[in-house]
Order: sequence, then structure tokens, then C-alpha cells
Amino acid sequence: MLALWTWIVQALFIFLTIDSVGGGLLKPCGHIIPESPVVAPNTTFTAICVLDEECLSEHHLNANQIFWKIKDTRVPKEQYTILNRTAASVTLEDVSSLGSPLTCNILLYGQIEQNIYGIQIRVGWAPEKPKNLSCIVNGQSNMKCQWDPGKETHLDTTYVLKSEWPTRQLTDCIPPPNVNNSCTVDMVVVYVNMDVWVVATNVLGNVSSDRINFDPIDIVQLLPPYNVTVSNSKEISSILKVSWANPVDKPFEGLKYNIRYRTKDASDWTLIPPEDTASTRDSFTVQYLKPFTEYVFSIRCMNREGRGFWSNWSAESSGVTYEAKPSNAPSFWYEIDPSQGHGYRLVHLKWKTLPRSEANGRILDYEVTLRGGKTSHFSRLINDTKMTLNITNDPYVASLKARNIVGSSDPSTLTIPGHDFKAAHPITNLKAFPKDNELWVQWTPPNEPVNKYIVEWCVFSDNLPCTPDWQQEGSATKLTYLRADLMESKCYLITVIPVYDDGPGSPQSVKAYLKQAPPSRGPFVRTKKVGKNEAVLVWEHLPIDDQNGFIRNYTIFYRTSSGNETAVHVNSSHTEYTLSPLTSDTLYMVRMAAYTDEGGKDGPEFTFTTPKFAQGEIEAIVVPVCLAFLLTTLLGVLLCFNKLDLIKKHIWPNVPDPSKSHIAQWSPHTPTRHNLHPKDQMYPEGNFTDTDVSVVEIEANEKKHLPEDLKSLDLFKKEKITTEGHSSGIGGSSCMSSSRPSISSNDESESGQNTSSTVQYSTVVHSGYRHQVPSVQVFSRSESTQPLLDSEERPEDLQIVENGGSGDGASPRQQYFKQNCNQDEISPDLPHFERSKQVSSVNEEDFVRLTQQQMSDQRSQSSGSGPMKDFEDISAADNFGASNDGQIQRFETIGLEAATDEGMPKSYLPQTVRQGGYVPQ
Amino acid sequence: MDLRAGDSWGMLACLCTVLWHLPAVPALNRTGDPGPGPSIQKTYDLTRYLEHQLRSLAGTYLNYLGPPFNEPDFNPPRLSAEALPSATVDFNVWRSLNDHLRLAQNYQAYSHLLCYLRGLDRHAATAELRRSLAHFCTSLQGLLGSIAGVMAALGYPLPPQGAEPAWAPSPSHSDFLQKMDDFWLLKELQTWLWRSAKDFNRLKKKTQSSAAAVTLRLEAPF
Repeated sequence: MLALWTWIVQALFIFLTIDSVGGGLLKPCGHIIPESPVVAPNTTFTAICVLDEECLSEHHLNANQIFWKIKDTRVPKEQYTILNRTAASVTLEDVSSLGSPLTCNILLYGQIEQNIYGIQIRVGWAPEKPKNLSCIVNGQSNMKCQWDPGKETHLDTTYVLKSEWPTRQLTDCIPPPNVNNSCTVDMVVVYVNMDVWVVATNVLGNVSSDRINFDPIDIVQLLPPYNVTVSNSKEISSILKVSWANPVDKPFEGLKYNIRYRTKDASDWTLIPPEDTASTRDSFTVQYLKPFTEYVFSIRCMNREGRGFWSNWSAESSGVTYEAKPSNAPSFWYEIDPSQGHGYRLVHLKWKTLPRSEANGRILDYEVTLRGGKTSHFSRLINDTKMTLNITNDPYVASLKARNIVGSSDPSTLTIPGHDFKAAHPITNLKAFPKDNELWVQWTPPNEPVNKYIVEWCVFSDNLPCTPDWQQEGSATKLTYLRADLMESKCYLITVIPVYDDGPGSPQSVKAYLKQAPPSRGPFVRTKKVGKNEAVLVWEHLPIDDQNGFIRNYTIFYRTSSGNETAVHVNSSHTEYTLSPLTSDTLYMVRMAAYTDEGGKDGPEFTFTTPKFAQGEIEAIVVPVCLAFLLTTLLGVLLCFNKLDLIKKHIWPNVPDPSKSHIAQWSPHTPTRHNLHPKDQMYPEGNFTDTDVSVVEIEANEKKHLPEDLKSLDLFKKEKITTEGHSSGIGGSSCMSSSRPSISSNDESESGQNTSSTVQYSTVVHSGYRHQVPSVQVFSRSESTQPLLDSEERPEDLQIVENGGSGDGASPRQQYFKQNCNQDEISPDLPHFERSKQVSSVNEEDFVRLTQQQMSDQRSQSSGSGPMKDFEDISAADNFGASNDGQIQRFETIGLEAATDEGMPKSYLPQTVRQGGYVPQ
Repeated sequence: MDLRAGDSWGMLACLCTVLWHLPAVPALNRTGDPGPGPSIQKTYDLTRYLEHQLRSLAGTYLNYLGPPFNEPDFNPPRLSAEALPSATVDFNVWRSLNDHLRLAQNYQAYSHLLCYLRGLDRHAATAELRRSLAHFCTSLQGLLGSIAGVMAALGYPLPPQGAEPAWAPSPSHSDFLQKMDDFWLLKELQTWLWRSAKDFNRLKKKTQSSAAAVTLRLEAPF
């Protein structure tokens, strides 16, 4: 910062000094030679700074003090040369890289820099030698020459086109400003050879192009003929006359021409043979043209001797040849609408407008003639291309002529056969195929001579009706294409009908596509049946509008959610496919693609899950198992039945019939019938009271005898399960009351210790009870076969009898009843139904006994050794506590209720009651 | 007569030169200098072209001069155009001249005519006419060069270039007389061009026949 200030102060001082000393800065102290140099790149440049003598003397300067700067950079001293006292030079190697300005400076008083003079150095190139010089003469005097000026010089460079004759120099041609590659010579003289060259000049030098020598007549290009007109001839419809004006500005008279023409719609030109137009003229008549056709003409010219160049083509001009009569008969066809009755039918005649090339003019109308039927001749002029006639069923011949202003065409005739005509003789081998963006139809002609063929076609679609288009083909045709604007990816139904003298032949049809495309959508695949390892897929064929081509095949893609996709190709005719093998219990994703020749399209994806088991598999397992179970059960049951006796024997040991015992023999009042077999249940109720069953009264204090009975009861209980319904006699469980749990438990405990096997004996009890003395001595029968004597011998039994205080040998009976009672009480967990069965199967005699036993038990329990209450009272007290109603009827009710409480069938007790067999004895 | 003598001497010199060079020049040497044939042809073509060019120029210019000069049957007496070289030499006399003389006379006549023609430019009012005139003058200049070229090719010396006759219409000339001069100038030009075309055509034929007889390379004697 300090240094900068110092420099500024110094500079100010110097300016002031010079100003005061030299009288102002207007006059420089020296100058540089050269003043405004132009330097080519990569060249050495030397500048000399010359100091003014006056300054030198005034400021005591000399050339040693000179130093050079480029912009603000000082040039090294090594490049300086002191020429003399007043001049010093600098040599620069490559100025273009150093820049401008170059200044000459001086160091005043050894430290003050003073600028003396500065110059701008311009850098540029010398011009390159112009190349590719060429000239062309337009008309007769203007010659335009062009050349390639080469590299940009970055300097002002002038280009001059020079020319000379052998004898003299011609005027230079100087291009207009900013043009450096062409020049137009104003007045060139033909038939005189001239030399032409270009000279390029700038400050760095000048350079001349190669000379070219030519006679300008050889480079003439005339303007094209103009005012071209075309006219036709009414007499001859195949000619047109082309007229034009020749270019005026030309250095010669003789011209030759090229005349070309084309029809208006065509793009290719036809050239009239050049030898026909090799002389100067201004019109030409073109022949062999088509009538009523517009032709376009264009002409060019050049020197007749072929010197120079062809002119450009003239502007196009067109003309129309005159009309001629139609050269062809129109295509003619018909349709029959048989719906009319009464011997008439509608015929729709239709024909095609003639193409322009055949109409040879504007068709004014059509002449339709009909022969045959009742109206032997009929003729009409129509402007339309169709006509509907109501004709009889007779055969007809229709003919058609197209007419224009010149004449009418040959007739086109058509035989409309009679109503009963049968078409025959079809064509064979009909094929249709696309080629060159057309749909071609090929067939083999029939053997019969054919007049013509009619080709009909329509878009074959599900949605749109077939509205046929048609065209007529000649009798020799075997191959043609449909002359219509056909759509791609549409199915065309093409019908070919041969037409004979007597009418049309049988039609033949074929389907074809101009260009197939992949289907619009894929088939919707779904499962019809899914098995464990397979799935039956079904789909429907794509509608024709979605096919876009012939479906060649289907591909089914299926995959599990994780697995790879598998593809299966299916013939296009199929609509069902069975996928297998599949994995059971797996989610499958399946989709289907339909392929035409051009590609395929996937349908939507369908998912299904294979079941874990095949259909019927569960049934196959369950049913046999059930059957096996059932069979086993059945076998078991059968076995049971088979071995019933054995079982019965095992569970229900045979109890000897007491009636056959010795006791029976010795008892005077043995009942005549003692059968305790189950069938006895069937006895009529009324008989119940008449049975000889004896009721054994058991004393309350007979408890001690119970345990002995229990053991056998326990056994019985176990076997009873399998022998339900077969229990009978004394086995019948009569003690259904559960009101004495304490007793039963006591019985159980006691029975465990009792090993007596003599329980099955019937006990003959003396029926006397307290104050009631039975009138007769009753014996209860047991099935036991065991000797009764055993029980008689047993001291316990005897003891019981004694303890009971009833005396008179009633203890065996008592024991028997206990046995029965306890048995039931030991098995309280028996299902009720079993009990009910038991009960129902119980012999009524047993029941009566049981009831009595029950009552006696109750008595023994509640009152212990106390005085025995009345039967009714005890019963009531047991069931209802305080109730003292002592009627028998009441008891019956209680019994019923008790049974209900036990879940017993209600039929049981009422039955008992109804039997009326329960009468306290 | 001097001209005739010069002509014969020239012819002799030419013949001698031809003979002298005969052994040195390979026969049928057509690849080198094509000889005077093409230049004669060019001169002939140019003459025809000038005739064609003059027709349109004269028509335009005479129209510019106006009646009676543009009337087709206007045939005024030749009054003040003595300076113009006249092409109205007798046909037989002209034909009796040799090629050199005829060429030289042509050369001289066109030199003079060109000078006078440049004077017309001063009168031409329209740019189009002036341009046509300028082009015609340039073409005539080319013809002079062509004739000189032919003479050189045939080995004839160019006639000495005298002082160019300046177009110095006397102030006494009335406008009508000046137009008359212009009329006669165009008329003389037409005559000269017509006769020159005949000359060059004849010369062309002559050279072609001689070239066919002896395909030699002719060189200028100096």
C-alpha cells in the first residue's frame, strides 16, 4: 500500500516536472517505428523507439534508459538493442501471444517511469490462395465467378477477379462489400477465349489463384423458356400442344430442348425423345396421351450445339386431353331379395363407376336394359350406380352401358337366373394372403368357361353386420387384390363367385387379414375343477373383434406365489386344459396368452388354491373308520348275544328255583307259579295283585346283614352294564331311591369285608310285621341255585333274624331283599336310563318288594331302635318331613315325586300305582 | 499493289517456313497448338454473334433516334460520314484481295468503327441502351482481338496502329446530321459484319482443307 502511494506521488511529480519543463504533454518525447504494424502469428517483430533530440538534451536522456512494456509487463532487457544514442529496438518472438499495446518508456532520474510512445500491434494472416474458381454465364453477358477464399485472415483483405483476352487486359471485377467468394462480370464477350483468376490482397501480402481459360460460350446457361401453355384438340383426344417463348437474352440463335410431362397424379416424368426437340422452336405436339387426362409439362433449353449448360426447368404448365368414349364396360353385379311373394322378387342391380382412365370423360349417365320375363324389353337411363327392380321369377338378362359426351361404353351383361336356379361349379383352392400392403386373392378357375368373377368382401365381426364391398374381375383372372382401403387387424371374409352364361356359380369364401396384430386382450381363464394335484382350466375363444389375427395357439402361464413360472402351449382349438401335476394346498396364479402371427396378449391372472385333500379323500378315510367302528360294535353285540348264556351265567349266576327246593315241597302254600323270568313282566296288571309274590318285611335293625350282600351286588353291578334289559327277577334294581346315602356307604364299606357268596339265595321271610300278621306264609322265590341250607346255616343271618326281633324264621327273605336294595344303592352313578330300564324291566313283584324294603330301610334309618311309626307316616316323614297325612293315595304321590326327582321315567311309578299292586299287606 | 507484293512475299515466307520446319514437325501432330482453325471459327462465330447483337442494338437505337431513322425503308444519302470506313467495295475487288489484306482491312475498319461507336454512347439516353452499346463495344473489341489472333496464327503482321481517329463532331453538325452519322455508322457496321462473316467463313474452309491436306503446325515467321 505504501509502495503504491509512493508510485502515485512519483508519477505526479514527473508529470508536473515534464509539464513545467517541456511546456506540456502535447508533444511526445519520441516515437516508435513502425507506427501501426500488422504481424502474422509466429513471426518475429522488431520495433524501434526513437527519442526526440530536444527531449534528450533537455532531460539528459539517452537510449540506454529506454525500456519496453507490453500492456503492464516489462519486456526483458535481453530483447533490447541500443542502436545509437537516440534509438533502441526490441525484438519480440510471437506477438500474437503477447498482446497490445507495446509501449516505449524511459526511466527519468533513474527511478521515474515515463511513457514515451505506444503502438497497437494487429495480428492477422496473409490471404490464402483462392481455390476452385469457376464461372457461369447467365444469358449473354453476365458471368458469375465463384471461388473458395480459404482461411479467414482477420485483416482487411480485398479480392479482385481479373480477366484478360490474349490481346488485352479486361476490366477487373470487384465484389460488392462483405463478399469475398464471388463476383459477377458485367459484360463478357462470347467466342473469345479469356483467362480469369482471382487476386487476394491484404497488408501481409497478396496471392493469385490459378488461372482458368475458357470461351464464355461454353459456360452459358440460359434462362428457361417461359410462357409455357398447353392446349388440347377436340378432334384427337390423345394429343396436347405445348407452346412457349424462348429466352431472349442469349448469345446464339440455335437452341435445343428437353420436354417432359407426367399425369397430374404421377410423380415420374416422361421425357420426349431429345432428338425430336433438337432444333429451335416454340411449340411441340405430344401424342399418344390418354383421353380426358390432365398432363403437366415442363421445358428447358440450351445451345443447340451442346455448348454450355441446360437451363433450369421452366414453370410447370398443365392441360387436359379431350374426352373419348368410355373404353370399358362398368363392373356390374346384382343381389336378389327373395322376400317378395306371389311369384315376384326384388333384384338390386349395382355397378361401379368407371375409373377415370376408363371413363375417358365425365360419365353423364348409365343405360340399363333388362330382357326376359313378361316385359320382354326394358331400358332406362340412371345417374346413380344402383337400381332396384321388382321382377318375376323368370330368368332375365340385364345389360349396362356408361355414357359420356362422346359416346357410350360397350355393354356389360349379366344373367339373372330364374327362381329355381341352382348355383354350381364353384372355384377351388381359394386363398387370400397379404402382400405389399394389399390383400391378394388367388383361386383355381373351374373347368367350365367363366364370363367373369365377382369378389365380395366384408369385415367379419361379432358386432357389425357383414356389409359387403365387391369388385369384378375378368375371366382370365386367377390372382387379384382387393381394390379398397382395407383396415389392418380386421378379419375380412372374402367370397369369390364365378359368373357363367346362365348365372352365378357357387360362392367360395375365405377369411384373411391385411395385417395381423396381437390380440386386443388375452383369454379369461378360470378353473372348472380344482383337484389336489391338478386343475382343469377352461376359457372361451376370443371374440373375433379382439382376435386381430388368426389365433395360432394359447400359452398358459402358471406359477405359485414363490415359484418359477411354467408355460404350457395349447392348440388354438382347445378351450380346456388340465394342469398337472400341481402341489396340494398351494395358491396358484394362472394366466393365459393368445398368440396370432404377430404376437400375443396376456389375459387377466386367475388365482386358485389346490385343496389339501382330494375330493372324497376325507370320506375315504372317515367312512371306513366309521364302518370299522360300527362293525366292531356290531361284532361285540353279536358276540354278546352269542355268548349271552355264558355272560348271563357269569354275571347272573343261576339261582336255584326255590320253588323246586325242598322248602317248596314242604311249604304247604307254595305258589303254583314261581317263575321270576323277565317275561313275567308281561303279566297283566290286574294279575299283579294276584301274584303270589311275598313281600318280605325287613326289620330296621337288620343293617348288619347288609355287608354280606354287597359283595355279590357289586359284582352284579359290573356285569349289569352289559346285560341291560336282560336283568330280571331279583336282579332288577328296585332300590332306585337315593334318599339313603349313608346306608349305602355303610353297606359298601361293610361289603368290602364280606366275602360271603351266598347272597343270591332267596330269603324266605315271615311276612308278619309287627301287629300285622300275614294270613298266609309267603315265600319269595329266588333263582339262586345255591343250596338254601347254606344261608340257613349262616350264623349272621340267623343273627339278623334274631336282632330284627321279628322272629319266626323270616331272616332269609329279609336278606334277599337287602341284597336287591343294596345293589341298587351301590351303583348310584348308573345312568338314569339304565335305571329306568332296570326299573321297567323289574318284575312287579320285585318292585313291590323293593318298595317295602325301601320303607323298611327308611324306618330303620330314621327311627333306629325307636318305636316303628305307621308305614304311611314314615314314608311321609321321610319325603316331606312334617307331613303326617297317612293315606295310601298320598304315598303314591310321593312315590311318583320321588321317581321324578330321580329322573326316572314317569311311566314307572304311575304304572306301579295303576297296577294297583302296591297294597300294603 | 504494294499490298499485293507484300502478300506474295508473306506467302513465300510462310511457305519457306513451312518447308523449313517440315522435318522437325511430326506429322499428324494434333495434340499441340491446334492451329488457326479454331480461332478462325471463333472469329466467324463472334462475327455472327455481333451481327445478331447489332440487329437488336440497331433496332433499339434507331427507335431511340426516332423517325425517319427507324423506318425500314429509310435510306438517306451518305453525306457527312466520309470518315467511316466504307464496306461498299466492289465484291470482285474485295475477293481479289489476299487473306492478309482482307484481314488487315477488317482490322482497321473495326478499329475505326469502334472509335466512332464509342461516340454514340454520349447520345444514348437510356441506361439500357447505354448498356447494350457498351456490351456491343466490348464485343467489337473482342472481335478486333480475335482478328489479331487469327492474323497472328496465320503469321500476318498486324497493320500499324495509326492515331485513333477521335470522334470530333463539328459544332456545325446539326442534330439531324449527327443522327444521320449515327445511322450510317450502324449501317456500315452491319455491312462490315456481314462481309467479315463471309470472309472468315471462306478462310475457315480454306484452312480446314489445307489442314486436311497437310496437317502441319504453322508457326509465325517471327
